[in-house]
Amino acid sequence: MSAAFYNKFERHAHGEGLKGHSTHYCPGCGHGLAHKFMAQAIQDLNIQDRTIAISPVGCSVFLYYYMDVGNSQAAHGRAPAVALGHKVANPNSIVISYQGDGDLASIGLAEIMQVAQMGIPITVIFVNNAIYGMTGGQMAPTTLIGQKTATTPHGRTNFAGQPLKMAEVMAQLDGPVYVERVALYDNKQRNRAHKAIHKAIQLQVEGKGFAFVEVLAECPTHLKMTPSQAEEWVRDYMTPIFPLGVKKDLTVEPMWDVKSPDFDPKKLTQLVGGTIESVPKFAKTFPSHIAQHDIALKLAGAGGDGAQTAAMLITKAGINEGYDATHIPSYGPESRGGTSYADVHIADTEVLSPASPNPHILIAFNAPSLAKFGPQVQAGGTIIYDSSVITEPPALHNAAKLVGVPFTEIAADLGKTMVKNIVALGALQAATGIYPQDTFLTAIRQALKDKCAMIPLNEEAFSWGMKAFHGR
Amino acid sequence: MPTVKERPKPFVFPEFCKGCGRCIEACPKHCIEIGTEINPATGLIPVVLKLDLCNGCQLCIDACPEPFGLQPQPKELDFELMDPEKMFGEKPTTAPVPYPILDTVIQLPQVDPLVIKGTYASAIGALLAGCRHFFGYPITPSTEGAELMAKLLPDLNGIFVQAVSEVATVNMMYGCSGAGLPCMTFTSSPGFSLMLEGISYMVGAELPAVFVNIMRGGPGLGNIAPEQADIKLACRGLGHGNTHAIVLTPSTPQEMLNLTMLAFELTFKYRNPVVLLGDGYLGQITGKVELPKTMIKPGIPEWAVFGDEMHRRNLICSIFLSEQDLEQHNIHLNDKYASMIEAEQRADLFYCDDADVILIACNTPARMAKGAVEQLRSQGIKAGLFRPITLWPFPIETLKPLLKQAEHLVVVEASAGQLEDEVRLALSNAGIRDYPEISHVQHFGGVLPQQHEIIHTVLSLEEVLS
Repeated sequence: MSAAFYNKFERHAHGEGLKGHSTHYCPGCGHGLAHKFMAQAIQDLNIQDRTIAISPVGCSVFLYYYMDVGNSQAAHGRAPAVALGHKVANPNSIVISYQGDGDLASIGLAEIMQVAQMGIPITVIFVNNAIYGMTGGQMAPTTLIGQKTATTPHGRTNFAGQPLKMAEVMAQLDGPVYVERVALYDNKQRNRAHKAIHKAIQLQVEGKGFAFVEVLAECPTHLKMTPSQAEEWVRDYMTPIFPLGVKKDLTVEPMWDVKSPDFDPKKLTQLVGGTIESVPKFAKTFPSHIAQHDIALKLAGAGGDGAQTAAMLITKAGINEGYDATHIPSYGPESRGGTSYADVHIADTEVLSPASPNPHILIAFNAPSLAKFGPQVQAGGTIIYDSSVITEPPALHNAAKLVGVPFTEIAADLGKTMVKNIVALGALQAATGIYPQDTFLTAIRQALKDKCAMIPLNEEAFSWGMKAFHGR
Repeated sequence: MPTVKERPKPFVFPEFCKGCGRCIEACPKHCIEIGTEINPATGLIPVVLKLDLCNGCQLCIDACPEPFGLQPQPKELDFELMDPEKMFGEKPTTAPVPYPILDTVIQLPQVDPLVIKGTYASAIGALLAGCRHFFGYPITPSTEGAELMAKLLPDLNGIFVQAVSEVATVNMMYGCSGAGLPCMTFTSSPGFSLMLEGISYMVGAELPAVFVNIMRGGPGLGNIAPEQADIKLACRGLGHGNTHAIVLTPSTPQEMLNLTMLAFELTFKYRNPVVLLGDGYLGQITGKVELPKTMIKPGIPEWAVFGDEMHRRNLICSIFLSEQDLEQHNIHLNDKYASMIEAEQRADLFYCDDADVILIACNTPARMAKGAVEQLRSQGIKAGLFRPITLWPFPIETLKPLLKQAEHLVVVEASAGQLEDEVRLALSNAGIRDYPEISHVQHFGGVLPQQHEIIHTVLSLEEVLS
């Protein structure tokens, strides 16, 4: 007996009585043979310590009773997903996903397809006996046309679906390197099955790729046959529909090379953007002339106007000054082309409510934004809008200050309309004095630290925005 | 001199033969026959070996489906006199007894605060907690977290897998977590629904993993705006069976980072999934985030199925076939839940000490409520905010002493009473019969309760006005 079996099956009803040394399978069941070939291969390849067997749902759910390897028991159909999780957690482990026909070819189709296409070295042993065993003889995805089962009492028809030929499906995919269908009904087939399972595991040991062995197996109990009749049935009825043989066998080089995870604190800090910049502060006090503790802004325009970037710059500038600040973008379908707006808050200690339903300041990049949000601005607030596109601002029945600055025109004169949001920030600074000029410029330079060539243009845009407000 | 390959003849203990007869056809010398006597121990009819013609080809052994069925005859032992129980060794396995490999705490360089989105903060929290394995399926408004992981993990030799579905996601997590490593996902309400079956398996198999659910509007496809309508799922409905998980509710990007790190600590502490509930706003909101002083390099727990010698004897599994075993397992889980309830209740209090009106809110609505409290206080009304940081276990022990002074509780939420249900259930389970009247401010479908509405509701309470 292979050393990859436990000396005693303690998990089988606590190993009491005969169960300590007998499987739970019915007499003549093919699973026991597939288990033996797998166990023998694990021993012969000297990988018992590295092996993780994934038990499926179905009759072979208790694979873990028997295999003296690491064991993980998966939900119905998900064994390949669980196998993938184990394999990427420890790339040196040898992961064998053992599945029946309902598990792999019905409920778990999506998982087997994805993991096969990923092509990473995992071995799948797929036991196809054309029927559901554990639930009591219902139709499997591999049940033959005409075959009677508990849920096809009159025989399977095309309406119940045609038998799914998984080995051929797998061989069609680009991911797998080796696919073979084998059987168990005589000495020759058993020998082939043993070799195929060995090879499928060996390919994983060599780091070469995904391997799939379909084993045509007997279920005498639900076929209502003797074990010997069941063997004949597999030979005479199953193999014409599920032809035996190698379906795919690529010669490949080892491809599995996964490095150990990195826990270098400096590298991680850098990756997440952590720096020490010692950004100077320019503001003497919180701009309480706009609001005592918490200033609400809204920036609105069409997608591409740069409202979100401007909002981020205001937020970043506030945090540089030691205030708390938040930015919520509008998101979803409308942010991919339609209206785009952002709510920004700046608070001396803590931003409480981050939404700006009634902002102190509105920056409107187009007419619909002004029409929509203009009336919501608080009395005494400021509305700054792009007078290049909004030639006739609507009459607003609130006591907000209305400031038109030609963002687009100025930006176009500078040769790049995309800096119109920076023009708007210049106008914002001039119109409200929310932060000193240098606070804005520092935030802009910070944002452009990887595109230094853009800094002069942006500085100019900002300064023109200020001038345009003063020269109105 | 060439050695002759030894080919022992077969033997079988009748108790371990099920009489399937595969060996009969396998034997070219016809040495094996169907038996005629029922074995009293098994009720089956074992085969009978007549080995006079046997040449030790062992084809019968290869044909036998039972591991302890047909065996080659041992050389020295008189197997016919052996107790089959002892024949195959006393110990079930030679695998060693595993011990835990502990986490390492690593100092982080100190840097300026980051200005980042809530989902980014959570992803960075996961990286700092030692997570290098991410599995997920894109769903708005949680995608940015996954995108950041996809960007950063390759540089850290980590693994990012975009699974074929949320169902596949949770099962990949089951595998990775089964290997003992920290892993996580970002999802949003419909995706979380799909993961619930897998979460039940993880609770059953006692596996750690962090699920960040950026809740969106429902039911059905709903919309992608913020809601809090998965509180019921997270607190009461984590799939089938007797399940619970610690549910954390951040309300700022900073807390998204801090509580994600805490989630990893708690998920390993209890060997149980942890759910971090955010809302669509919280996922998208950008704010100031300070990095902690230390990060974690994870070890490997002793129970893991890592795929090495030390962990060979382990099993990850949620099956307990016997009723008594499954009852014991549930009692064990209940004990864990009880210790979570005992040790993990967390809440943040804002002006609660002398409050006549206590607002109860979490996530983004808690920020609206905090704004309302500040404004109400400036009007001379003694309002306070009770903000649960764990929704399960509900921090009832912190709420209890406040109930003496309070005359009103106002639950502020973006759902149709799911938070209020948790409050009422916690009061009831704590045996508190005499509690203040509960009012509420609710919005659904992606609309959040606004500060002025909360103020209006509080001002309309009779006792406050009188």
